[in-house]
Amino acid sequence: MRVHVTTLQGDLVEVRVSSEEATTSGEATTTAETTGPNPISPEGKELIWGAGSFLVFLVIMRVFLFPKLKKGMDARYNGIREDFEQADATRLSAKTDVSKYEAALAEVRAEAAGRVDKARQTLDQERSTKIAEANARIASKRSAADAEISAARLAARDQVAAAVATVTSRTTQLAVGKSPDASVVQKAVQEAMQSGARS
Amino acid sequence: MEALTRIAHVSARVAAELTPAELKANSAAQMAGLAYGLAAIGPGIGIGMIFGKAIEAMARQPESAGMVRTTMFLGVAFTEALALIGFVAFILLKFA
Amino acid sequence: MFSTQLAIKASVQVLQKLMPSAEGGRGFSFPPINTILRWKDVTPGINKVVIISILSAVIGTVLFLVASSKDARKAPKGSRNLAEIIVEFIEKNIIMETMGKSGMGWTPFLLTMFIFIYLCNLPGIIPFIQMPATARMGVPAFMALLVWVVFNATGIKHQGLFGYFKNVLFPPGVPKALYVLVTPIELISTLVVRPFSLAVRLFANMLAGHLLLVIFALLTQALIQAETQRFFLIPIGILPFGLLIFLTAFEILVAFLQAYIFTVLTAVYIGGAAHPEH
Repeated sequence: MRVHVTTLQGDLVEVRVSSEEATTSGEATTTAETTGPNPISPEGKELIWGAGSFLVFLVIMRVFLFPKLKKGMDARYNGIREDFEQADATRLSAKTDVSKYEAALAEVRAEAAGRVDKARQTLDQERSTKIAEANARIASKRSAADAEISAARLAARDQVAAAVATVTSRTTQLAVGKSPDASVVQKAVQEAMQSGARS
Repeated sequence: MEALTRIAHVSARVAAELTPAELKANSAAQMAGLAYGLAAIGPGIGIGMIFGKAIEAMARQPESAGMVRTTMFLGVAFTEALALIGFVAFILLKFA
Repeated sequence: MFSTQLAIKASVQVLQKLMPSAEGGRGFSFPPINTILRWKDVTPGINKVVIISILSAVIGTVLFLVASSKDARKAPKGSRNLAEIIVEFIEKNIIMETMGKSGMGWTPFLLTMFIFIYLCNLPGIIPFIQMPATARMGVPAFMALLVWVVFNATGIKHQGLFGYFKNVLFPPGVPKALYVLVTPIELISTLVVRPFSLAVRLFANMLAGHLLLVIFALLTQALIQAETQRFFLIPIGILPFGLLIFLTAFEILVAFLQAYIFTVLTAVYIGGAAHPEH
């Protein structure tokens, strides 16, 4: 901004404020024309050079560089995908192997269990037969012993009866002076013993 | 007293003595500021709404965030164009 | 008479106080916009913007040349990794989201477009270059025109000249009476607004970012070099400098985002022309 003051004739004064830019010496270093066309209108050389460089870039990319890069990328991706598929196949086969092994294992395990069961069954059978045998033996022994006991008891009883009869006939003989009839004594002894046993 | 009236007189002449071109540049500069200020209001509100709605959508459905983001930038681009036309009008008025 | 002279002197002083001059080095003045945007020719016909756009193409070519000459069977790293990341970004995030699987043939076109625009945007924040080639209208205008030609050609190729324009001008599913309204709107929006908005969006974004960086750099300089009695103004220069750093980081995002949006919109336009039912 500049302020011009000029005195005209008399007391008529003219003061003008103009906005002419002074040629600034300090700032015009790398700049071109300070005045020029509209800042928005495209400049011919910039448009042409920009267009040319872009089109050349586009052609180079479209024809040479991008297909090459893309081919490499696709090859690697396909390689990776193949690797993945391979890994999947390997995993699948491993899985079938594992299931096969597991089936075999289950079979073996079932067989073993069966055998164990069978062995247990035979053992149980053997044991029960042996127990039964032992029981039978014990029973027979017990019955034999019982028979012996009862025989011994009968024998003892007969002895007692005989002894009692002898004693009775003797006492009767002493008391009466004549030996009693044996059958009468016996009958009396038996009655006494039975009543003794009852009482 | 006379001096004061003369100063007032001189100041009035300072205002009056601008050449028509200067006057035009003056009013163009004022209008340029006004033009850009007015042009920025609508797009400002619009871009705010676009981003707000996009954030809402992304928060509701994070799995569709990529699609929402692309569409959001498209909407921002279209809305922003209005403000930028205002900016171009500013440049044209101020400097052309 | 003397009082008049005094009054003039006083008012001139007041005016000079009110309007600090640009030439004294005091105060802050924004340089004319062509000083910021137009560059002197290095050699006839070639200026900075031209060099940047050529370099973008060269850097892109070199990147893919190096990348594609590496062994493809190994795990990618370095330049090949970078190139493959960009290719997959284009394929997954741009083509698959907008065109679907049938658009895979457009990968090299969109890839080249993305890389070229991104590399043209990026010098806006690289120190000592600091000029996005897309902040001049040349590159965006050409790209938008190219996209316009490409998507119209795709539409005509896939649907025939008549079918394409029938689909564009008389979109199916609209009541017949509305065609009076819809047809002119569609005509303008498809054939005029699309390339215009594509070019203007890219250009204006980069220009606005560039101007912001310039403004805050100049503010920082003006505050730090201020010849002022109020010395506390000098450390205040750290504030615009901080914002300058922040805006530079923001411009990296903008450079990427604008390349992405340009490419996505191209993909949408081409996809829409190839398969109008979407």
